[in-house]
Amino acid sequence: MSVLYDLRILIEKKIAADGLDEVTVKGEIGLRTGRLVSLISVRTPDDPVAIAKMRQAAKDLLNISI
Amino acid sequence: MKWNSIRTKVLAVLAVCLAVGVGGTLMLLNYSFAKNSQALAVESVAGAQRLFNILETREISKMTAVSDTLVLNQRVRDAFAARDRGLLLTLNAPLYSELKTQGITNWMFHTPEPDMAVFLRLHSPQKFGDPLNRFIDKEVVRTHAIVAGNELAKAGFALRIIRPFPGPDGKLIGYVEFGEEIGRFIHEMKKQTGDDYGLLLNKRFVNPKFWADTSASLHRRDNWADNPTFVVADKTSATESIIQFQGDLANVAGSGKVLDRFNDGDSVFVRGIFPILDAANNTVGAMFVVRDISGVYRSMRNTQNMLLTVSVAGLLLVAVLMLTLLNRLIFRRLDRIIVVATRVVGGDFQTEIHVGSPDEIGRFEQLFEQFRCVFVDLLTNVPELQEKD
Repeated sequence: MSVLYDLRILIEKKIAADGLDEVTVKGEIGLRTGRLVSLISVRTPDDPVAIAKMRQAAKDLLNISI
Repeated sequence: MKWNSIRTKVLAVLAVCLAVGVGGTLMLLNYSFAKNSQALAVESVAGAQRLFNILETREISKMTAVSDTLVLNQRVRDAFAARDRGLLLTLNAPLYSELKTQGITNWMFHTPEPDMAVFLRLHSPQKFGDPLNRFIDKEVVRTHAIVAGNELAKAGFALRIIRPFPGPDGKLIGYVEFGEEIGRFIHEMKKQTGDDYGLLLNKRFVNPKFWADTSASLHRRDNWADNPTFVVADKTSATESIIQFQGDLANVAGSGKVLDRFNDGDSVFVRGIFPILDAANNTVGAMFVVRDISGVYRSMRNTQNMLLTVSVAGLLLVAVLMLTLLNRLIFRRLDRIIVVATRVVGGDFQTEIHVGSPDEIGRFEQLFEQFRCVFVDLLTNVPELQEKD
């Protein structure tokens, strides 16, 4: 399993729960982290820097700690 | 408000422009008012001096004409030649009453030199026999021609003419003199110009004891102690507070001097001074001129307020137009590019960027749209995305 992928799933759940515009939020996270969220899969290797950026972006944009 | 945004910077520049524009306008108007008030002060001093000279010349001409007529009057001439004081008074009293209404308040007959004493004073018949020994007396004796000029008597200025009086055989039998107080000039000048005037006498030429006595006899306040170097002989204003002069009257330039601008309540005044010379060319006094420039000042203030309002309104309008223009031409289109870029990264590959205008931003929109197409084309071939679809 990939931590990055888990984070992606948590983020998508939060977006759906809050009824947010998925494309826009994922776009903003992608711009902040330098990664396309849609391309993160179970086979995506974990990168500590990318994970930290993803968590920070989720906190800033969705107000969740993951 | 973001301090590093272009909008804020543009607003800041416009605010600076507004402040500089308004400040510059105010400074320019104040400078203009200062120049105008100085010019008005110069003009009021020069104008007052011109008017004073005109009045002086007119009165000298009048007194000369009266004296010309008098020396041709045979009965007067005979009475003077016969030293018949009573007849001389009787003959001239009616004319003197008439002349007094014209301002000629002094009329004297003098015996010839060497004693040259007052033979008859029409204005004070009981007083005679005293020699006056003034500059004009010496001058008329020296030249045996008409001498005219100002003489500072103990109680004030008088414009006088004195001329030889020939007898029936053409030989000199004495002199006749006419004089009028200069003090009345300032009231006539006030009527003509509306300015206020003050007649100042140099204390060096005035006897303080006589000044006090004259003040008492005329029922006026003894103002000797009011100023250190001069005394106000007459003025057109009810108050003496507008007459402010520090210095020696003898040092006032012949062409006059502008003193200062001052406020009294809501009114604004400028004041100046020019010297008054006696017949011997001594600066024995001065004329103080005060001009009310409140009208000019108010006009300047109104213009200032109007310009201020127009400047502020104009610059605010420019600011609004500039920001609206910048918003339409740049900011809104940049925001649109950011939105599209964000959405593309978020997975929306359908939203396009439309080129709004073929300008600099339009070129960027076009470039970004091309970049988006390449990016979308690239992503559509990524296996992970195809799997999801």
